Amino acid sequence: MNALRALRTRPMRALVRDVRLSGLLNTGMTQRYATTAQSKPALPPGSELAGKSNLTAKIHEKLKIMQYKHNKIMEQMTGDISGMEREDMARLAKEQSSMGMIVVPYEHLLKLYSELIELEQMMSADDPDLRRLAREERQEVLENVVTAENDIINALLPKDSAESAGAILEIRAGTGGDEASIFCGDLLHMYEKYAQLRKWKLETMSMDSEGDKIKEIVLKVSGRGVFGVLMFESGVHRVQRVPATETQGRVHTSTATVAVLPHAANVNIVIKESDLRIDVFRASGKGGQHVNTTDSAVRITHIPTGISVENQQERSQIQNRERAMQVLRARMYERERSRLDLERRASRNKLIGSGDRSEKCRTYNYAQNRVTDHRINFSMFNIEGMMNGTALQIVIDQLRIQHDLDELASMDNFDDISPPNQ
Amino acid sequence: MPRSVLNNTVIPLLRQLTKKLGPQQAKNELRWMADHVRKAIPTKLTAEHATSARLWRDQPAPSAEETEVASKRFSSVQWAWLRQAVHDRVETNKPLQYILGTQPFGNASLLTRAPVLIPRWETEEWVLKLSDMIRAENTGLLNILDACTGSGCVALGLACALPRESVHITGVDVSHDACDLAIENLLRNKKAKQAVEFQRLDLNEQGVASELKSRGMWDMVVANPPYVTPNEYAELDPDVKDWEDVRALVPGDPMDVDQSGLSFVVRLAQLARELGLADGESTNLPRLVVEIGGAHQVDGARQAMHDNGFNLTEVWKDMAGIDRVVLGYHKT
Repeated sequence: MNALRALRTRPMRALVRDVRLSGLLNTGMTQRYATTAQSKPALPPGSELAGKSNLTAKIHEKLKIMQYKHNKIMEQMTGDISGMEREDMARLAKEQSSMGMIVVPYEHLLKLYSELIELEQMMSADDPDLRRLAREERQEVLENVVTAENDIINALLPKDSAESAGAILEIRAGTGGDEASIFCGDLLHMYEKYAQLRKWKLETMSMDSEGDKIKEIVLKVSGRGVFGVLMFESGVHRVQRVPATETQGRVHTSTATVAVLPHAANVNIVIKESDLRIDVFRASGKGGQHVNTTDSAVRITHIPTGISVENQQERSQIQNRERAMQVLRARMYERERSRLDLERRASRNKLIGSGDRSEKCRTYNYAQNRVTDHRINFSMFNIEGMMNGTALQIVIDQLRIQHDLDELASMDNFDDISPPNQ
Repeated sequence: MPRSVLNNTVIPLLRQLTKKLGPQQAKNELRWMADHVRKAIPTKLTAEHATSARLWRDQPAPSAEETEVASKRFSSVQWAWLRQAVHDRVETNKPLQYILGTQPFGNASLLTRAPVLIPRWETEEWVLKLSDMIRAENTGLLNILDACTGSGCVALGLACALPRESVHITGVDVSHDACDLAIENLLRNKKAKQAVEFQRLDLNEQGVASELKSRGMWDMVVANPPYVTPNEYAELDPDVKDWEDVRALVPGDPMDVDQSGLSFVVRLAQLARELGLADGESTNLPRLVVEIGGAHQVDGARQAMHDNGFNLTEVWKDMAGIDRVVLGYHKT
């Protein structure tokens, strides 16, 4: 911007314009707010120059109100503070800092909008150098606008505490027989590689497999923010390719179901011992010294909810019981969480498929080298990158963007837009 | 195809195991064998070998993906071990625990070796339940005698589940093999080192009780004694009968005419009384804890305990619903 500032000292066409520009830069907002209070909510000037924005007019309204309140608090804090109680001061400080998280990027955004207006003026100037400079600057400012908008959106969205914790990932073979099991193995490989990239820890809770063919596998993924990333993987993944077992080269379609549950590590899920029924393999006969059995399978059923979990991964019944309890806790937590979520909002975000396991979320077409996510209608032509985990991030990023937008759009009840909790 | 290639696939192994164990358990056991062979016979050399072989022939070294895929395959040495293991399991009925050489038990990890009795899950269950009880009582140091200790599972299971300085356990067994194995297990589970000792001792000998008593005050006797009757022994699976020590299974008292399998339980009740456990103040903890074979032995065991001064007895069932443990208390 420095080059342009130097140029700005050149006399512009009319003094009037100078006044108008400076007016917009400094006090335009409060003036505008006063005049448009009764009419349709309007976007800040210059925002139309930024192209399609994710922030609707309603949200801008609310943000303006928040900015006004924030300024009021600032005035209070810098004004006469002698008469205030200590706790009032603390409260004001807390409100100011939490509102600041939204208002500061918003004010920055407004500044960027006004810079855009100036640059528009530049673009229609006579000097070609000036025009070129303006074009470059405009590019940079547009990028900054996108960043600022994302900051605001992030600060506005309600935080789901489950998203920052680990997750339990279940992959099950669907229709397609052996080919579905092989595809399960491929999906597992994809997630393993992706977890390696993200430096997450994977632990197999239970696995039902024969070599590369996996009928069902349950993994525990530990790391920060794991659930927030993997939650979009829930649903039915469909593959269209020539199976390894195929002799005639025909393309087959098979499916695998993935379910992702938040890992209820620190959440207080109260499970009463009396509500559990624990079944173990019963030797037909006397047991004890009479029999040497290696079957230590455990099935735990939570009677009130009917959720039942089985585990025969380890050689010790105690270890199997512990693993089954972990998965049971996760399932109960997910149940509880989705119930609360449903109560909190009328319409669930349709990107996170849970419950309804028949939702097709993604298709992997090997012949066309294409991966398509049906929820956002996004296609990518890189099967190999996808299946070795490197390209998965791209799809997840797109899903995350769409998810945030949906959340924002569904905040019809504007009491939802409140300063974020820290 | 060359026969050697066909030999090294999982499918024939799985088929053999399925004939003996059924499909689900065959998969589990093969998985455990595979996990074991990967740890016991490491193949790091193969990766280096492959790299140097390629470079020697002026070929590019194997890529990271190739080495990863190759590391998941078994080497020929590992395949040979797997084939032998499955053969032993199916043809000679060798127990899986003897093949793998280990068995987890509570918080401890135990070595297993023929003919010492393999720890059962029922024993693990009551040992952990007893340790919960002891922990809750939080008394001072308890002096515990673990009779017929075998691999040392009861002693080590208790010691690993309880905080230090809360128990001192002496495990005894008539078999030299068992004592040797128990000592190896003690070295393997360092957590129990201060709390446990093992000794070869024949509890049927004269003067054993006074010898033990001279060592100090005892608080509890626990045991998984032999309780299989001679008739039942004839009907046992070859997994057990051909491989595990008969002395650990059948109480060998020639006077035991009634074939109840309880003779050793009776002897333990007598021993407990001789050690003074039926005297003194009453506590919340049991004095005598003995595993039994089922409902047919409950009355006999309780009677033996009552006869020796343990006026309150309790019975625990295991998770399969069978009467598994009889506990004797001394209440005043």
